[in-house]
Amino acid sequence: MVITSRLALWHDKTSQFGYYLGCLTLGIIFGSYIVEVFGRYFFNSPQWWASEAVSYSLCIGTFMMMPYVTWKKGHVAVALIFEVIPRKAVRPAVWFTYLMGALACGFATWITGEETMRQWTNDVHIMAVKPVPKYIISVFIPIGFASSTLYFLRFLDWRKIDPDTAGATGGFGEN
Amino acid sequence: MGWEATLITALLLLLAAFLTGAPLFVAFLVINLAGVAIFLGQAGFGMVANSIFDTANYTDLATIPLFILMAEILFRSGSVDILFDAVDKLVGKMKGRQYVLTISLSTVFGALSGSGMAVAAMLARTLFPTMRNRGYDTKLSIGTMLAGASLAPIIPPSVLAIVIGTLSNTSIAGLLIGGIIPGLLLASLFLVYTMLRVRLNPSLAPDASGDEVERVSTAEKFKAVASCLPFGLIIFSVMGFIMFGIATPSEAAATGVLASLITAAYYRRLNFSMVLEALGTSAFITSMILLIMASSRMFSQLLAFTGATSELTNLIVSLDWSPMLMLFIMMLIPFIMCMFIDQIALMMVVIPIYQPLLSTLGFDPIWFWLIMLLNVTVGGISPPFGYVIFAFQGAADRVTISEAFRAAWPFVGLFIIGMVALAFFPPLVTYLPSLL
Repeated sequence: MVITSRLALWHDKTSQFGYYLGCLTLGIIFGSYIVEVFGRYFFNSPQWWASEAVSYSLCIGTFMMMPYVTWKKGHVAVALIFEVIPRKAVRPAVWFTYLMGALACGFATWITGEETMRQWTNDVHIMAVKPVPKYIISVFIPIGFASSTLYFLRFLDWRKIDPDTAGATGGFGEN
Repeated sequence: MGWEATLITALLLLLAAFLTGAPLFVAFLVINLAGVAIFLGQAGFGMVANSIFDTANYTDLATIPLFILMAEILFRSGSVDILFDAVDKLVGKMKGRQYVLTISLSTVFGALSGSGMAVAAMLARTLFPTMRNRGYDTKLSIGTMLAGASLAPIIPPSVLAIVIGTLSNTSIAGLLIGGIIPGLLLASLFLVYTMLRVRLNPSLAPDASGDEVERVSTAEKFKAVASCLPFGLIIFSVMGFIMFGIATPSEAAATGVLASLITAAYYRRLNFSMVLEALGTSAFITSMILLIMASSRMFSQLLAFTGATSELTNLIVSLDWSPMLMLFIMMLIPFIMCMFIDQIALMMVVIPIYQPLLSTLGFDPIWFWLIMLLNVTVGGISPPFGYVIFAFQGAADRVTISEAFRAAWPFVGLFIIGMVALAFFPPLVTYLPSLL
């Protein structure tokens, strides 16, 4: 029991870290474009790296923030069903959405992880001004999916599903 | 299985997956992974992984977090309060002035924020209590606020326009700039309608004397205009830079963020924790949106692979119906669907099916997708699933959801009038983009 709680705590801490990484990558996107625009107009020197930095930051930020969004139940969902079905059916319905989430994200972890491994073994590079190994960027995708899978599995704890909070915006919120 | 059965089955299964209440990205993943397993086999899973990677690395989509960040900085710093006070001073003493103030403020906020939900929540917290206390009609007050907030996704910056532009491969700059005139047209329609209602039924608003408006001198009015100038810098950094070809939409969004930081600093409302919170919220929402986009992209590829897209195009050509009738049908389906499905999810389904039809029907993509943008925006204020209404109701005091829905209906009608006007007068949409 203590071990699982501690593991859960560590899991949450890594998601919190992912949240800050998401903030940092957004800062990089902003900074890259500003340097690009000012460089182009004031110093007549377009930055070759700006577009690539934006592209990689967007991918890393999206998937590093993903576990945090799942943890906070922030994904958009059509939550109408929880308002129209009988109250006693809400808990199983919400549980089912978590199961769907765990299965879908688990499967996505497998296929994106396998693709990342293939890119690594075949030494696939991204077509860019300065080509970089593709797995360096794509590895964040299975990480994001894997951590979200863990959250969905943690949500499956029947006792912790509150039918009342699933009402207005569903098992998942809308932001 | 024929293409018709494939298409109908895929759409029904997707709809069923949405209606389970699972996150939208999960629903898309389940259907797409099942579709790939059936039609392509295990070899197709690599394609799914690559489609996720390609979407998440698509540079144009960086515009989304930047537009959200721009609005977050302005709203969280409280800089918009200055704008609020200034517009309040500029709207003169008249019967129903709070309605005018609401619509004017919403239009200006629309030029600073790409999300109707944020504007609706702000109006609910600030203007709504005042209007109720002063004896304004609750239903009309709610209606003007919901309609005003719905201008945000139309007037640039618009997050939804970027999503549509990216998915349909239409000029994002064209879609953003094309939203200016329709947004202003709708704001004018709301104003005329509200004033007409007040004129026909004076009990909807208190007398001008009961509005407790301080007398504002001309000098104070000039001062109010001057205090808004930094906001002009933001609007120019976004719309001006795109229109004059100085920057791409993504770069313009970044300069908009810089301008909003400068504005917050100018009003002495810039601090580190506020910026960090704004960054966090923006990255959070972006992750949420991009995950849906990344998970759904394979859906369009599957439709193309099964031949459903091309066969549907052939069928439409053979029908030989008038383009206007086709436009009506193509708009009616999302209009009804949007009452039940999230706007972005609906776009993910509709765009891959509609996009190949546009050239066949001879529709201008910017014109068509802007009417669609208005169409799906209405979904935010139409029952039973309206994001903007939920945001408003969450922030407003003592407002029931049925009350909010009833208040929104007349403005849904005005949106439809606006869409009809755009359908019959395409230059309302295409004129500004043609200058790019």
